[in-house]
Amino acid sequence: MKARPITTVKTIVAGIEEAGAGIKLFTLIDPDHWELPPFRPGAHIDLHLQTGLVRTYSLCNAPADNKRYVIAVKREAEGRGGSRALHDDVRVGDVIGVSLPRGGLGPDANITRHVFVAGGIGVTPFLSMARHLEVTEQADFTLHLIVREEIPLAAHLASLIDQGRVVVHRTSRIGRPDLAQLVGEGGSQTLVACCGPESMTSDFERVTAAWPSANVHVERFVAPPPVIDPDAKPFTLALARTGTEIQVRAGQTMLAALQEGGIDVATSCCGGICGACKVGWLEGKPVHRDRILSPYERERYLMVCVAGSDAERLVLDL
Amino acid sequence: MLDTIGAGSAQSAAQLGWTGVVRFLHFTPRAFLPMRSAEQINLVAGRGIEGDRYMIGNEEGFYSHKPEEGRQVTLFELETLAALKRDAGIELGPEEHRRNVTVEGVPLNHLVGRRFWLGETLLEATRLSVPCRHIEEITGKAIFDPLINRSGLNCRILQGGIVRVGDIVRNAA
Repeated sequence: MKARPITTVKTIVAGIEEAGAGIKLFTLIDPDHWELPPFRPGAHIDLHLQTGLVRTYSLCNAPADNKRYVIAVKREAEGRGGSRALHDDVRVGDVIGVSLPRGGLGPDANITRHVFVAGGIGVTPFLSMARHLEVTEQADFTLHLIVREEIPLAAHLASLIDQGRVVVHRTSRIGRPDLAQLVGEGGSQTLVACCGPESMTSDFERVTAAWPSANVHVERFVAPPPVIDPDAKPFTLALARTGTEIQVRAGQTMLAALQEGGIDVATSCCGGICGACKVGWLEGKPVHRDRILSPYERERYLMVCVAGSDAERLVLDL
Repeated sequence: MLDTIGAGSAQSAAQLGWTGVVRFLHFTPRAFLPMRSAEQINLVAGRGIEGDRYMIGNEEGFYSHKPEEGRQVTLFELETLAALKRDAGIELGPEEHRRNVTVEGVPLNHLVGRRFWLGETLLEATRLSVPCRHIEEITGKAIFDPLINRSGLNCRILQGGIVRVGDIVRNAA
């Protein structure tokens, strides 16, 4: 009998493959080769590593390939430690708990054309989208891959490059391409998406600012800094299950206050875009500030990394 | 009809001559994993379904940290799936409600504390199932509220055996 609730999907590392300079592909499967929880093209999962780190990675395989999760991880020597732990410490046969998949693009019968813009390893969410669109033939797509010189996951992109569906732009040779030219004319039947470094996603948001928001999708490597209301007031968090009360200082995040109080909450992006720290709320007036919960979900949940309170007391389901 | 059997008596309602049928069977070995459809499942008396996450002694379910002897097999009404579509406009498949046995023509809410035959197996209903937010997280569908009071039935297995799709469900007097 287990004393603790099961909070993650149990997976086993079934394969580790070198996939270009500093990049490894990890294949995760169920111990009994059972189907894994389904995901949408472009979705991501959190990996709960042995070290206690929780890190988010895009799924690279097609959603129909439903007995494995494949992630591509670039080793970032100066990163926050997740990619180093995966590259240096994780072996085939290791057990890794992962979250349910989140995000990605839902089916939209109105979309006939996709334009994807990726910077370097930012190509990962578009691999599953490309594979999905290639098989389902739901809509046309072009993936513009902007790299300095070397193509990440080159072996996995080769056939798409040959078909002209992936267009490689090498900045070392031609400089940075004009994003406005790449995405072209907007329209209700076109969906554009970008994943790359912050400077690229910011440029992308600028050139698509006039587009309908439903037709523009941005994936970030790192969450932008949380926005704290300068007029924020201190408030009290009441934890319904334990009866604990925790004070949140003006301008402090709810997450920081919970962690100071010794409350264990899974987190990842800490910027309201990944969904890892979703917590139920029972009473009060939360100010949400995240960019992931639907209006329906906000009636019951908040993201503790960015949410605040418009009342002196907020009761959480913790 | 009802006024001939004594108003307000749940026992009388359960004794009405119902006969149901097993329409779908599902199980999964671990929390969060999709339910897999089966033509037959093996019910082990006093323990659970072979290969399922709530088999006692081998529990890996989302609620396994809360032991419950009467949660060896769970049932769900096919009629609820039709009602969800009709009342809430939600399409929910029999593989999504995460109960093991989807039955048709069985008044599950009237069976708490009673015994009934599921094919060749004998079950005792322990309590009504309640919906959980977990299922919304897994399905991505807002089904918590619509499933209140029609979320199925938890049972213990008194007499085990093989249950097959198409098996008859009937009261054990």
